[in-house]
Amino acid sequence: MPRIKIYHEDHIDSPMWRVWQSFSSNPFALMGLWAVIFLLVLTIFAPFIAPYPAEAQDQQVLLLPPSWDPAGKVEHFLGTDDLGRDIFSRILHGVQLTFGMSLLIVGASLFFGFVIGSLSGMMRGIKSSVLSHLLDALLSIPSLLMAILVVAVMGPGLQNVFWGVGIAMVPQFVRVIHQAVHEELQKEYVTAARLDGANSVQIFWYVIMPNVWDVVIIQTTMAISAAILDIAALGFLNLGAQAPSPEWGAMVAQGLDNLLLAPWTVTIPGVAILFTVLSVNLVGDGLRSALAPIRN
Amino acid sequence: MWRYLFRRITLFVATSMVMMAVLFIATGLFPADKAHSLSGIQYPTAEQQQQIEQDYQLNDNALLQFTAYLRQRLSGNLGISSNSQQEVAGELASVLPASFELSLFSGFLAVFLGVPIGVIAALSRNKAIQHSILAFTLTGYSIPVFWLGLTLAMWFGVNLGWLPISGQINLLYEIEHVTGFMLLDTLLSDSTYRIPAFHDALLHLILPAVTLAVLPFTLVVRITRQAVISVMNQTYIRAAEARGLHTFKILIRHAMPNALIPVLKSIGLMLGSFASYGIVVEVIFSWPGVGSWLVSGIYQRDYTVIQAGILSVSLLIIFLSILIDLMHTAINPMSRKELYASH
Repeated sequence: MPRIKIYHEDHIDSPMWRVWQSFSSNPFALMGLWAVIFLLVLTIFAPFIAPYPAEAQDQQVLLLPPSWDPAGKVEHFLGTDDLGRDIFSRILHGVQLTFGMSLLIVGASLFFGFVIGSLSGMMRGIKSSVLSHLLDALLSIPSLLMAILVVAVMGPGLQNVFWGVGIAMVPQFVRVIHQAVHEELQKEYVTAARLDGANSVQIFWYVIMPNVWDVVIIQTTMAISAAILDIAALGFLNLGAQAPSPEWGAMVAQGLDNLLLAPWTVTIPGVAILFTVLSVNLVGDGLRSALAPIRN
Repeated sequence: MWRYLFRRITLFVATSMVMMAVLFIATGLFPADKAHSLSGIQYPTAEQQQQIEQDYQLNDNALLQFTAYLRQRLSGNLGISSNSQQEVAGELASVLPASFELSLFSGFLAVFLGVPIGVIAALSRNKAIQHSILAFTLTGYSIPVFWLGLTLAMWFGVNLGWLPISGQINLLYEIEHVTGFMLLDTLLSDSTYRIPAFHDALLHLILPAVTLAVLPFTLVVRITRQAVISVMNQTYIRAAEARGLHTFKILIRHAMPNALIPVLKSIGLMLGSFASYGIVVEVIFSWPGVGSWLVSGIYQRDYTVIQAGILSVSLLIIFLSILIDLMHTAINPMSRKELYASH
């Protein structure tokens, strides 16, 4: 027997649920979310799925076209490159390097950006502006130049991309979080909480942060797509991941020699990057429009 | 306003100082002798060594070294390139105009195409047009620029053979270096082939400029669309409609001045990624600008070139973003309210 409703009461959805409903009513955003989940699964399981190791060379099948081409073979689904390495396997191994690395970079810079940004946002006066403007200078160095500077100091390599892109990304998080916290701090509900006797930590965590999380989330999705593009661009310029590595940007660079002969060695890694960035951006866009009514 | 101007100038100086300090610290960390990484002279004679130590005060403490570094750099002494043995300042002056030409051209392309398309996307009632514009901009925003450049070069340069894919001008034309802007130089030159040369330079410019314009174009479209949508819902637009004005006139006279303000602001925020993309595009199309110069500098571990490239690009970005900030405040009375508020 169903419960009898004695009182007429309106059910009010929680904000989280409303965001989810608004997000899932957008088919493109949902598509992007599925693609991102798929990529996350691949990041963990790709080495087990990939049919060949990333650097395995087969001299019998050099520059084999993808399998849908009449000359292609299904054993090498996306064809092979000039050293006979299976492109499909390399793409799968590259998910970890390009997508996984970008998650790592964004996670680390989010952490530091969050700490510095919220500290400087909660402070007032000269301390606050020194902390935030000090990093504004770093903001003016484009991420690629920052990575070039790091490479000049530490030499090329994938772990130095981590530092280069990370150092360039922290100031962006600091700036966004600082501004959001600072803006909320001026509002009246914060004063009300202060009059109720809340201390600074309570005000920060229970009063301000619920209204800042959406900014943080949006900035994080934007940062992930920017980080993927930066890692790939550095790999392409041969300043990041080095030659045998299956990082997608480096794969494009390695395919360049055979661009006219075997365009798929360049096209396929490029499509992989485009697919990844596009799905992250679709999720970010969906989140932004889902969060928009709450933010205003 | 003057107070604001003064504050922005202070900010410019302070930010540039911090930037120079970062660069100075990084220079100290380069895996080379400090005298080498500062001056670019790899095997100095005893006199040169003494001169370098005197110029950069290498025997004093870090603070004095930094002031000496500032003095040298600001007086235009960027050292010599250890690769070409030329003055770095001279090389920089010869590559900067090419980069300006490319970025100005693609910037104009992005704004003059992006704003109208953004307006169309905002005003169109047709769902198909709206969705296709949004899908196109999202793809353009997500595409890796090096791959886009290669693909365009493949199609239009190699397969179709319509456009040249490398350099600034065909080497057959001998154009005197006057302004460094190849389009102007070809017109200014007094040779008989100046019109074909101009035509050739223009053809060389198209592919890199289009590749570089894709990112700012998509951002301009998106931001214009957002801004126009939010402005068209304002009450003063309804008032203008009630008075019976034509939609086009409302758009030009009432909506656009307000809608373009966020576009201006976003251009300021975009400068950094625009510069990053510019470097990659210059490398792909062998455009003789700062980007390809800087990247070849890093391949050859040419420390003075790296410093000069990063310094010039970052200073330019700091300057332009503060300039755009000033313009934004000057034309937007709304933001002046924040100016005088205490926080």
